[in-house]
Amino acid sequence: MSYEELVIIAADKTVDARGTACPGPLLEAKKAMGTIASGEVIEILSADEGTKKDIPKWANKKGHEYLGTVEESGYFKIYLQKG
Amino acid sequence: MTMALFSGSIDKLTGAGVILSGAAADDMDVDVYVLLMGARAFIKGNENNINSLSEYPELKDEFIKSAKTLNVPSWIEFFEMAKELTNVKIHICSLAGKMWGAEKMEDFIDLTDDLCGIGEYITSAQEADVHLFI
Repeated sequence: MSYEELVIIAADKTVDARGTACPGPLLEAKKAMGTIASGEVIEILSADEGTKKDIPKWANKKGHEYLGTVEESGYFKIYLQKG
Repeated sequence: MTMALFSGSIDKLTGAGVILSGAAADDMDVDVYVLLMGARAFIKGNENNINSLSEYPELKDEFIKSAKTLNVPSWIEFFEMAKELTNVKIHICSLAGKMWGAEKMEDFIDLTDDLCGIGEYITSAQEADVHLFI
């Protein structure tokens, strides 16, 4: 998904995990996935560098689609679509 | 995954908790075998009073301060989260418990699933695809 598409995406759920270090954002992502339906999109806010690689890998392994990451000032937003 | 948790030190208990959380996010079944020093940490009343570091004891204050600043959950919170998310079973070595005066299930914190002998751990380690000794 292109940057232009990512920045206008309307997530079905947003999880703000900026207050947690690894593995907090991953666990928040996992919990949030359990609450949405297949095809819906979650947005995870994180400031933890490790998460940036961790969550896309985890998502692919679990059959979800990693849509992309948008950098913000001091944090980033990761978009996943539930498989 | 099978984990032998021998250590009862805050650094290793925290590390074990982080690994368990990762395994939980991955939906892995985990059997934790709590051995000698670990068993002491699982005795009721001890779980929140663990403050020794297994290595580099001089770094204790820095460890505790950093963990607080980074909002790192306590080791027990990691274990609780992992249990909520996936099938984590906590088995405590019966001999280890006795070494610290704890012989019955009710002597241990509620996360405990059962007391066991070493044979069960060996069998579990033989069958596991991932085996850690902490």
